[in-house]
Amino acid sequence: MSLSRYQTERIAFLTIGVATLLTVAPIIIVVGAIFVSGAEAISWEFIAEMPRDGMRAGGIWPAIVGTAYLVMGTGLISVPLGLGAAIYLSEYARESAWTRAIRVAIVNLAGIPSVVYGLFGLGLFVLFMKLGSSIIAACLTLSIMTLPVIISTAEGALRSVPQSFRVVSIGMGGTRWQTIRRIVLPQAMPGILTGVILGLERAAGETAPILFTGAAFFLPRLPNSVFDQTMALPYHLFVISTQIPGMPVQIQYGTASVLLVFVLAMNILAASVRSWQRRKRQW
Amino acid sequence: MVSVAKAEPKIIIDHLSVRYEDDGTESLRDIHFDIPANAITALFGPAGGGKSTLLRTLNRLNDMVDVSVSGSVLLDGVDIFSSNIDIVTLRRRVGIVFAQPIPLPFSISKNISYGLELAGESRRSRLDDAVESSLRAAALWEEVKDRLGDPAIALSGGQQQRLCIARVLALEPEVLMLDEPTSGLDPISTAKVEASLQMLKRDYTVVIAPSSIQQTARVADWAAFMLQGELVEWNKGEELFSTPRDQKTEDYITGRFG
Repeated sequence: MSLSRYQTERIAFLTIGVATLLTVAPIIIVVGAIFVSGAEAISWEFIAEMPRDGMRAGGIWPAIVGTAYLVMGTGLISVPLGLGAAIYLSEYARESAWTRAIRVAIVNLAGIPSVVYGLFGLGLFVLFMKLGSSIIAACLTLSIMTLPVIISTAEGALRSVPQSFRVVSIGMGGTRWQTIRRIVLPQAMPGILTGVILGLERAAGETAPILFTGAAFFLPRLPNSVFDQTMALPYHLFVISTQIPGMPVQIQYGTASVLLVFVLAMNILAASVRSWQRRKRQW
Repeated sequence: MVSVAKAEPKIIIDHLSVRYEDDGTESLRDIHFDIPANAITALFGPAGGGKSTLLRTLNRLNDMVDVSVSGSVLLDGVDIFSSNIDIVTLRRRVGIVFAQPIPLPFSISKNISYGLELAGESRRSRLDDAVESSLRAAALWEEVKDRLGDPAIALSGGQQQRLCIARVLALEPEVLMLDEPTSGLDPISTAKVEASLQMLKRDYTVVIAPSSIQQTARVADWAAFMLQGELVEWNKGEELFSTPRDQKTEDYITGRFG
């Protein structure tokens, strides 16, 4: 039996449609279930107050603030470093065994399980550099995890800027750096921001890297300095889900909802910055 | 070679060879001729003859790719390959317009002022003056004066090419190099560009790789015929076209190959 090409077409469409649905459905179901179950826990008190009764009541404010600190600190460290490395690889380095080795290292770094980063951070930052379990040690650890994402997306964004722009700018008496700063970077900015946000999102959501390096089990106050420990949303969620008997289930879902909103907000921020940059762009 | 130019030539090219290191091809072999000031020198010949390479060597744009160079190029008597030459200054003195018009991703006026801003000029009035005068010199001002803030990419191909010429003129270079500046243009735009070249040679030394033999004959005060990386013949344009000395030159300009 042979099918007419219209039947083949219909079957192909159907298959692709089902595949798409199967991809999207779990996301919607999971996110939906968490938000529905968490909704009754969410209140002003839940967001803005300290935890009470061994975290079985009260709010999650220190975990929210802690995650914000960790994301900001990680950004401050990894964005300049990652962008610098990407500019070096894309604009300055000539193709050589050295740059190939760097790229292989970056790809491999991106594939390392996050708990390995956590142990590495414990060994290097917490113990060897004697930073202790602290925000700074956690941010450094998260930065190492975030860097490969930032470097490879930023390098891709820089390389996608047409070479002819560079030739023109240098032909007009521009130095390499002037060319990068005035043409290449602005053109690549939407792509770079995407990489930065992707990397920082991962930093916001990971538990393992901060487990040994800076996350506090319970700290009913805000951290005072970068050498303080801090609570953080993903670790807090892990703690209240597994470590505390008699934990009200809506608090767990409420915390998960807040973490999701946190990451979602970063996504929306990234999308709007991108479209704003695109509207500014003139080609 | 007989030197006919009265004054000292603007550029003296002396036994210049250029080799691309990545694939080992020799693009220019032992090139040897002068480029007189305030005249149009045309480099012509079939594709692959080394015209673009020569142009990109004269302001060392080829430094961006891996090349090895031997011989010398004297600009006002100073070798542009000597170690104490400031390469950024060299590129401002020897400006280049490419075959494909490549507007930078800015507005029309920012495209013109960009080069001056690179050189540190920040006074708005100076930049505005330069935008107007160089657009006038490139015969584009009347067409764009009411929309200087529009993206340059929105201009037509002919307008873009004149914008690229204006952009280089804004830097007030001494030598203006044009690599097939009319290759994608219609006859009217081509005539406009050629007419502006005739005006520009009063103030500039012009080096052009024309798009055709006919264009070479129209514009060349001096002509250099290049074939497969070698200079076959160099002479005043009229003489080269009326009485070519080399058989290969004669064959090419009479259309027997190419």
